[in-house]
Amino acid sequence: MRYKSQSVAYWYFAVAMVLFGLQIVFGLLSAAKYLGPDPLLYILPFDVTKVIHTNLLIVWVLTGFMGATYWMVPDESRTELHSVKLAYIQLGLWVLMGLTAVIGYLFRYGTGNKLLEQPLPHKLVIVVVMLMFIYNIGMTIKNSGRFTTTEGVLMLGVGGAAVLFLPALLEYKNYVVSIFYRWWTIHLWVEGVWEMIQGGFLAYLLIRLSGADREVMEKWLYVIVGLVFVAGILGTAHHYYWVGVPSYWLPIGGIFSAMEPLALIGMAVYAYSAIRRTGLAHPNILALHWTVGSAVFTLFGAGLLGLAHTWPGVNKWTHGTLITAMHGHAAFYGAYAMIVMAMITYALPAMSVGRKEEGTTIGYWAFWLQIVGMFGMTISFATAGIGQVYLERILGLGYLDTQLKIQVHFLMLIATASVFAVGVALFIIDFFRYAPRFELAVEPEPSTRRMSVTAARD
Amino acid sequence: MNKRQTRLFAIASTGLAALAFLGLTVDSHRQFPSLTNESQLTPQVIAGKNVWHKFNCVNCHTLFGEGAYYAPDLTKIAKLRGEQYLTAYMKNPAQFYDEKRHRRLMPKQNLSDEEIKNLISFLAWVSNVDNGGWPPRPILVTGAAIPGTDLAATQQAPPGARPVSGDENPMALGEHLFRSVTPACNACHSVAPDVNMAGPSLAGVGEKAAKAIASPDYKGKAKDANQYIHESILEPSAHLVAGAMYSANGVSFMPNTYGQSLTPEQVDQLAAYLLSLK
Repeated sequence: MRYKSQSVAYWYFAVAMVLFGLQIVFGLLSAAKYLGPDPLLYILPFDVTKVIHTNLLIVWVLTGFMGATYWMVPDESRTELHSVKLAYIQLGLWVLMGLTAVIGYLFRYGTGNKLLEQPLPHKLVIVVVMLMFIYNIGMTIKNSGRFTTTEGVLMLGVGGAAVLFLPALLEYKNYVVSIFYRWWTIHLWVEGVWEMIQGGFLAYLLIRLSGADREVMEKWLYVIVGLVFVAGILGTAHHYYWVGVPSYWLPIGGIFSAMEPLALIGMAVYAYSAIRRTGLAHPNILALHWTVGSAVFTLFGAGLLGLAHTWPGVNKWTHGTLITAMHGHAAFYGAYAMIVMAMITYALPAMSVGRKEEGTTIGYWAFWLQIVGMFGMTISFATAGIGQVYLERILGLGYLDTQLKIQVHFLMLIATASVFAVGVALFIIDFFRYAPRFELAVEPEPSTRRMSVTAARD
Repeated sequence: MNKRQTRLFAIASTGLAALAFLGLTVDSHRQFPSLTNESQLTPQVIAGKNVWHKFNCVNCHTLFGEGAYYAPDLTKIAKLRGEQYLTAYMKNPAQFYDEKRHRRLMPKQNLSDEEIKNLISFLAWVSNVDNGGWPPRPILVTGAAIPGTDLAATQQAPPGARPVSGDENPMALGEHLFRSVTPACNACHSVAPDVNMAGPSLAGVGEKAAKAIASPDYKGKAKDANQYIHESILEPSAHLVAGAMYSANGVSFMPNTYGQSLTPEQVDQLAAYLLSLK
């Protein structure tokens, strides 16, 4: 840790870890309900556990993003944060918002709008928190006078996330119109601005972990950003299939979302070639696992599995089946859960007593059990989904009868999800088993790092 | 390419994509009124939408294929099930499905009569939205468009059928009978629209019956759809649906044994179920 204020990140990461654990508990509960019968039918029905599962995901990943940004920006701009106090107030407000939202869901207090279930007061707090965050980071960078491309991409991602949240605050009389704008927030977050955040972290980690040249890395970061947006913005169209919008969205969705893997291939090649060309410049091999893992798993989950059902002629049959759950789990995990864990793993040795820089044995077990578990879950959803498409959509067997016939895949889902949960538990245990330490360590700057002060404006 | 060029690429491509996207958004707004029948967005439909949100329906069901995958898609449910059926179902889903058999059950939601009415009008509005002809084939809740596919080898009763205790809603009992009488109705009749097997599809049979009675070709004694269905079950040849695959020489191919094998009460239940189909 080179700057005292970076210690803020630890508390964000700690909160993220607790919420991650809770998310998995509610995920397992939801999966068990697929097997049924459900003894909690009138206490904690599926709709409640599912809302909590997805909302905790959004909250913990965003908490991780914020913590990782508070870690990264002082490093990049070589200065202390503008206001540590503001960062803690922000975290407090955020946790309060998250917890009251989850408690509210238990009593069905929510908007009942998929992924945007947060009641209006909570949504307003989210906006306030984002503004506080952007202000704090913006002032830090402004005060330092050093603004790197990596930071620029990250800031655009964070700012874009705030702007795109605005349509979610409005109410629409027409359900179709409300679907239309819901995706402005959800899709343009996860397949637009969040990918910029991921790209920003990826560039930061690769510059520090490998010996890659900053100029080269940032040049390619621009290419990735361009590809993300060309495909991502118009790729929103793949959420406009069969929802009551004009039919031209079908070919647009097909073509542009077929291009979405390009950016993801770009990211994976980017990570791989950075390591291959320049070798390692940092002892934290575990962080490297998470970094490269994130790029590769994103390519698999978001790219390949997204492509599998994005063509309108295919999607006509798979729309609204467990095929979507297959893609959703792998994509979110690879792109966002893993990049946050990469940042945590990279930052943690500098913030704890006695933690080895190259990673712990438990840390490696956590990594591999999660990878194996999530891969198994993805395959379970895929086989269940394929069964469902053929039986229910093509042969015309009733929904309930079909669900009974694909029970074996739900058993597989629970088995692999349990492996995944053990991996998550180990990651959380590994996080908390070393006491935090916030002393400034004078680390030598990695020798390969270029001092390109003018990186953003060559 | 140098860094300046790649930055230009990032900015230009983002700008162009955003511009195209906004243009298409404006055009979509131009088309929403006709695609979604905005003139039919009555206060009742909007109140029904609020019921849909209030009870968090989208986190089990899908609408337009969007939502959660724990319960059936409801995009076209108002075209498959009548208001009476949906009302009875919403009052107590356990009267229609059995958790032990189906391994999942919709919890009773305690909706008021007005909320149910509003919700059904919302679902009816949804079912009329022009959504590109999706789903390509009807998505059924239970049963099958192809006979036999819902029969498990080891089970006498299909997995979609529930054990009957007797105090279920007559429509639910009728649905059970539809599959369990001998010979089973669903061996020849589908309840999916336009799926004509050995017998004609029974989707919307109530409406079809009313039309048949009104036509001059009708030779039977029924005065309304309910009587027509009773008559068709008990005396299949009283009125013949046109088609060489359904009858020959004035005699229907449908078995005429139901008069002996079914009690009058069972025929009433079957008719109640069939009348609920749209």
